[in-house]
Amino acid sequence: MKSLALRGGAPYKESVNILVVEDEQKMAKALREGLEADDYSVRVAHTGEEGFYLVQAQPFDLVILDVMLPGHDGFEILATLRKRGVKTPVLLLTSRDAVEDRVRGLDTGADDYLVKPFAFPELLARTRALLRRGSTETGQRFKLADLEMDVAQRAALRGGQSLDLTAREFDLLEYLFENRGRVVSREMLARDIWRETSRQTPLDNVIDAQMVRLRRKLDGQFTAKLLHTVRGVGFVLREESDS
Amino acid sequence: MRLRPRHLRTRLTLWYVAVLASLLVLAWGGTCALLFLQLRNQLDHFAVQEIETVEGLFYFTPDGGLHMREDYHNHPESKDVIERYLEVLSADGAILLRNERLGSRTLDGEVFPGEGIGGYFQRTSRLSDGTPVRLVSRVHLLDGRRLLIRLAHSEEPLHSLLRELLLASLLVLPVVLATAGLAGYSLARRALNPIEQMARRAQEITPERLDARLPDDYTDNELRQLARVFNDTLARLERAFEQLRRFTADASHELRTPLAMIRSVGEVGLQKDGTRAEYRDIVGSMLEEVNRLTSLIDNLLTISRADSGHIQLHRSFVPVLALAREAAGLFEILLDEKGQRLTVEGDEGAMVEGDPVFLRQALVNVIHNAVKYSPAGGAIGVRVVRGEDGVVVEIQDNGPGIPVEDQPRVFDRFYRVDKARWRESGGAGLGLSIVKWAVEAHGGTVTLESGPNSGCTFRIHLPAATPPHVSKLT
Repeated sequence: MKSLALRGGAPYKESVNILVVEDEQKMAKALREGLEADDYSVRVAHTGEEGFYLVQAQPFDLVILDVMLPGHDGFEILATLRKRGVKTPVLLLTSRDAVEDRVRGLDTGADDYLVKPFAFPELLARTRALLRRGSTETGQRFKLADLEMDVAQRAALRGGQSLDLTAREFDLLEYLFENRGRVVSREMLARDIWRETSRQTPLDNVIDAQMVRLRRKLDGQFTAKLLHTVRGVGFVLREESDS
Repeated sequence: MRLRPRHLRTRLTLWYVAVLASLLVLAWGGTCALLFLQLRNQLDHFAVQEIETVEGLFYFTPDGGLHMREDYHNHPESKDVIERYLEVLSADGAILLRNERLGSRTLDGEVFPGEGIGGYFQRTSRLSDGTPVRLVSRVHLLDGRRLLIRLAHSEEPLHSLLRELLLASLLVLPVVLATAGLAGYSLARRALNPIEQMARRAQEITPERLDARLPDDYTDNELRQLARVFNDTLARLERAFEQLRRFTADASHELRTPLAMIRSVGEVGLQKDGTRAEYRDIVGSMLEEVNRLTSLIDNLLTISRADSGHIQLHRSFVPVLALAREAAGLFEILLDEKGQRLTVEGDEGAMVEGDPVFLRQALVNVIHNAVKYSPAGGAIGVRVVRGEDGVVVEIQDNGPGIPVEDQPRVFDRFYRVDKARWRESGGAGLGLSIVKWAVEAHGGTVTLESGPNSGCTFRIHLPAATPPHVSKLT
């Protein structure tokens, strides 16, 4: 796998344990494989009760908890865990996108909240954000092949040549750099770069057009392409040829 | 026993009978009382006249005894028809005379101070044997001596008259009430019969048969009114059901389209061995459809929540021009790509009171629409005007416009003017229906003006807000 070389830079992940509490077999399998592909070690519980005992039996770094579980639902389990003083970060998954649900989830002690169906890159991004909590490392300088970026100076260079980026393009590139090697979805970009809270705002065309421009400036005159589109998912900044 | 009868007609009848009974008792009682008082009054009057007569008949015999001349009758037996009781007392209370009819019985008791002085004293009393009487006293001077004359008539005839009247009423009243009750009951039943009929007809109306109506040719205004109101409600229900049915059908159609694509792309992809790149492309294409489905479902959810009234507006004071600028700013890059020009101008001070999230959503959708359908190099104008009764936002493009026959339906759900082109422009025809909902939720209106090849003008009218600093807290 070509991408293995990139992941080699993060060996600490071997020790990161994630518990997934999800009753749907397919979903649980997808979550496990997706997270394992990102080098997390994953344990799956298929019922709320099982998850509840596992959390108490062994330490986890993160719990991904489905709200709709048979028997005791996610909210109940979360509430009981928090009552017992378990401080492990919890990411709630739900298919109910009601504001009340969101508020209830966060009130119960969830650290973040993701509505099904979600884009997998989004789940990975949230996972990383939750694990990073407390130890925020702000990348001042990025480098990928001959692309360099200095966030503080707001300067970007490709092959030593300065790229003339607009403010938005600069933000985009910084975001892609922070997630380099990983796909970012349009939804993530809409939320984090365009600061758009509503899922209904028709931004996809806007994002695509913006990406076309950024790519023109970034890769236009170079043979080694760095910014790729992953069809149906999003965009990724990495050093490889288009696949 | 049930205290509240279940049937309206029974209750009506009971009320009716109760009211009638109390009215009859009142009227009857009043009549009796009046009659009694009138008769007693006559008795008093009569007594006073008799006192006047007997006064002149008294004389003292030389031995000091008081007597009364009774020899004025033409026939001695005429004395017997006189029904008065008479008693004369001296100033110190000694009995000077009692007439035959009174005999040894006493009329009333002790003399009270001032009795009979300066007028006629009328009162009701009893003889010592208990006979009820109406009594009048009067002081009369005879030969320098003061005589107290007490003259009374029996009240017995009055009492027996009253008793008879009461007895008669006891016999007649139940008959009257029973008759009235029966008549009332049958009247109530006849009046309520059409209502029962209506209820039966209404019961047969089910969601499958919402086109059925109640007959509204009743002669009574009230019933006709009731039937019409009910029919109007039915008509509204029918429309709502029809809308829901259409919405469900449209929604499942819209959901089926991307699902069909996912399915065929997947099936075709598995039929042959492909390269890694080909598989990636297939999966990517399927994911694109999934994204479309997801956003469709998000929109459907918003609409269904709006329909059930579950969306709460968090109102604040919103500067419209700034909101329009912000919404238009989102599409800057698209405009740039297509060489379109977008101008936002108008009244800086135009404010409305509303939920900025939904107002922005409305503006974003309309502007997006304009950007989508305007040709390359076209011009889009957004104008915010403050009028007397609110704020108007005009979004004008110079695209191909919308045919007149399509115009009334552009705000309908799932409605697309260009049915073939929607997939490339990306949209399920919900954008404008969400605009309509959002604007109307704020008490506003949205209209469309369009002619062939003259572009579209969407006009959003929102009611004005009072400026924040003088507004009341709501």
